[in-house]
Amino acid sequence: MHEMGIANSVLEAVRREMGEGERASRVGLRIGEFAALDPDSLRFCFEAAVKSSGLAPLALDIEWCRAGQGRRGDELQLAYVEFDEVRGI
Amino acid sequence: MSRVAIEKSILSENNRIAAELREALTATGALALNFISSPGSGKTMLLEKTLELLPAHTRAAVLTGDIQTDNDARRLMRYGFPVRQICTGGACHLDAAMVEKNLGNWLPRGLQLLLIENVGNLVCPTSYDLGEDAKVVILSVTEGEDKPLKYPGIFRKAELMILNKIDLLPHVPFQPEMARQNARAINPAIEIIETSCITGAGLGQWMRWLEARAAKKATAALAAASR
Repeated sequence: MHEMGIANSVLEAVRREMGEGERASRVGLRIGEFAALDPDSLRFCFEAAVKSSGLAPLALDIEWCRAGQGRRGDELQLAYVEFDEVRGI
Repeated sequence: MSRVAIEKSILSENNRIAAELREALTATGALALNFISSPGSGKTMLLEKTLELLPAHTRAAVLTGDIQTDNDARRLMRYGFPVRQICTGGACHLDAAMVEKNLGNWLPRGLQLLLIENVGNLVCPTSYDLGEDAKVVILSVTEGEDKPLKYPGIFRKAELMILNKIDLLPHVPFQPEMARQNARAINPAIEIIETSCITGAGLGQWMRWLEARAAKKATAALAAASR
């Protein structure tokens, strides 16, 4: 259930980043080891949620982060979004 | 194709709403606490005892979250304070939008204390800022001493751990010192209060902690208003 909630939050966040007429093709997340998320479950939930979101096809990348070296390990970050067209052109 | 670095929290919209809630609660000087624990640790009973022990003139309110039923709200309403149930309908945590939607115009004027009982779950509620001043984690002696090690996220973020149901210690193989050590291994600054809602042990200490935190928040609000 938690992963499905986070997957929906990712899709909402991507939608907020999209300008008019833009289409996102890939989203990158940074997830810490203490964020209490299972990457496989998150990927499964994301794939299910994206189908009915109007954002499909949207690929998902997950960077899994260990704590240490300046990282707290509880990261839940939207790292990047890739768009089909160059923004602002 | 172009890649745009975002570097924002996935929960940035939740965090935005939580920041607005925190600002509104800070302006009134109300202390907001977010109670998080696994199911069955005694959150609702601790809140019942808290409401019972609060001075009657306290302007307090309770939001209580569950996946289904308003059982907890009905229990908590008996103490004369405003209580509202949030049924999440399947979600395993409260989020800031649920709190905002349910606060509305319902809060008493001059609110001093908002107690938020989260859905019983040590994992998901940890990630969602509700605009609270502090997270309070409740661990009961019928659970394992290693809960802080198994669920470090909430023990890292909580300011206070309440070790509850200590009246059962003679009957269970729970080692309180090991639980305290484990909690402090994860969060050296965490405060710990041991309570029993059956015998009343530790409830005085808990109420003094609550009163001190509420007074600190109200004083800060008054100082900010006079600037």
